[in-house]
Amino acid sequence: MKSQFNCATPADQIKTNRTLKAGIIGAGRMGITHLALLGGNPNVRVTAIADNSPLMSHVLTRYRPDIRLFGDYNRMLKEADLDMVVIATPPPLHTPMIDASLDAGLSIFVEKPFTLSAEEARRVTIRSQDVRGTFQVGYVNRFNDIFMKVKALIDAGALGRLISFRSDMFGRTVTQPSSGSGWRGKREGGGGCLYEFGSHAIDLMVYMLGKPSKVTGSCLTPVFSTGVEDIVRTNVIYASGLTGSLMVNWSDASFRKPANQIEILGENGKILADQHDLKLYLNHEYPPYVKGWNTVYITDCFNAVPFYVRGNEFTREMFHFVDRALDPAQPNLSGFSDATMTQEVIDMVFADAGVEK
Amino acid sequence: MIQLDKVILGDNQFFGINHMSQQKAQQLAERFNSISSICEAYRTAYDLGIHAFMLNSNDKAKEICDYFRAHRSEFPELVLYPSIPYPHKYANLVAEQGIVGAIQTVLSSQSAFNLLGFAGKGLSLLTGDVTKMFMMLIDVEMSIYKKLDFKVIYLQNIVTDLLLGLGFREVFVEYCRYVEKKFHAAPGFLTMNVPRLAAYLEECGIENAVLCGAVNKTGYLMSPDIDSYETYFRGPQRYAVSAMSIFASGAIPAAEAVNYVGQQGIRSIVFGASSRQHMQATLELIKGIA
Repeated sequence: MKSQFNCATPADQIKTNRTLKAGIIGAGRMGITHLALLGGNPNVRVTAIADNSPLMSHVLTRYRPDIRLFGDYNRMLKEADLDMVVIATPPPLHTPMIDASLDAGLSIFVEKPFTLSAEEARRVTIRSQDVRGTFQVGYVNRFNDIFMKVKALIDAGALGRLISFRSDMFGRTVTQPSSGSGWRGKREGGGGCLYEFGSHAIDLMVYMLGKPSKVTGSCLTPVFSTGVEDIVRTNVIYASGLTGSLMVNWSDASFRKPANQIEILGENGKILADQHDLKLYLNHEYPPYVKGWNTVYITDCFNAVPFYVRGNEFTREMFHFVDRALDPAQPNLSGFSDATMTQEVIDMVFADAGVEK
Repeated sequence: MIQLDKVILGDNQFFGINHMSQQKAQQLAERFNSISSICEAYRTAYDLGIHAFMLNSNDKAKEICDYFRAHRSEFPELVLYPSIPYPHKYANLVAEQGIVGAIQTVLSSQSAFNLLGFAGKGLSLLTGDVTKMFMMLIDVEMSIYKKLDFKVIYLQNIVTDLLLGLGFREVFVEYCRYVEKKFHAAPGFLTMNVPRLAAYLEECGIENAVLCGAVNKTGYLMSPDIDSYETYFRGPQRYAVSAMSIFASGAIPAAEAVNYVGQQGIRSIVFGASSRQHMQATLELIKGIA
């Protein structure tokens, strides 16, 4: 019973007889998630993992003896004969790992935030253009059914000229003073609300609207953390005259799980959306949407994924990467150049807030 | 094969969970803010003849279990279907402290300490014996259901499907063995990948598992696709199945939803309802399945 609002995003997974060999650097929460997701894709086999935690080495040796383990990622890249690599380590390690993976000529998936500076992001993006492969950053909202639908509506001009927007993200990740003892509680470690949560809200804005020309009035406010912010607020200005705001708070206990919310107002109407539904207000009919309010729920517009672990978007994201690694001529929906724009905005917010990194 | 209750009341509606809309989720969270409002809904359901409840081990589950224990005489035929763990608790802990830190925090909490003592904990963390660690986490999660009746212990889909993707065969085998031996219950798995999981469990030689997955005519939360599910339900099945997400979070009218599940040959349904009318209407529909 799919409605007329079906998003019709292509179900990924190319038919091929080729099996790619993948390596994973970092077997933490995201590395393990990606290992599980790749376990559901018949076109790829994880043959090597680099991680130096004794616990994870022990676990993997015991339960996945078919995977070769390395304490040193450089050795893995040299010896494991890989086609692609997934980098899921703390952010400060991303850049040297990307460089080494580019040296090895591999397709690369790197978790967000891409790097810790726009300069590094630009440099590795330019380098990647000389390597045959696909290069993706883990901004998972780009693969959410609803946000993909919003993007399609904006690009099709359903709202006309855009006037204003907001991109917000809330969650309850840090709700106690004792929190944040690991790398996530240190800015030089890539921690803090701006890198961890804000990067998602900024990337969603960049995905929908492109890169702004200026941010102003940025506030980075600690609540429970010391050394990093728990709340990010800023105003965003585009050359076109479009203006908006970002509000990101990872210390809001009223949210059961992290949630993104966007609101985009144009000459012809408005969109309100989160990961689960979108509401579209139109000044005029825009078939199949009627004048006035239209609601599209995720149940109206989802596309089933071949293997579900944490939500359709995580599978779609990782299978997109595998498909593009098989056929690098296809554009990547979350490529290094996209993530560089996001990184540039993150740097703009830090600079505007007077933070020296 | 284990006989599952035909009608099982789920709990998402009491904890601000709605897969279709965060706004609806918010409304439910407000309505069922207090434990007493949740317990009142359980009492309504029980009085209507729904005696089986699926209950996730979330922040409020302990108080709900306390209530059931304190009012045992009013719920003489109560059967719980616990689902463990509460995934967001672990997700937030892992986000903050990393995997090892999260395990340490859970296992060194007061309740875990009382339950396990230090010896087991230290040993498992040192040796990376995930199977052992996993069983200790099950003990911690299950402690709230003490002295209540249950016949299945479900593993939450985020854990089931993660382990399925990881291919940690031994953990599946040990979980099933442990649940039967220690709790005298059937090992259950919530999953969004019913056909794939069933094939995998068979491969592992597991006999007595119970599966609970989304079954609805839109194919929502049914991976890889609805056709694979329908093919699976038409074939010979080794495992008892409960259907969940039958309304696809409200996208499908109740009669159509129940009818579709019946057509798949499934005779046990977990559904969410928050009002007496909705509970009664759904109960009548499910009773109508031959």
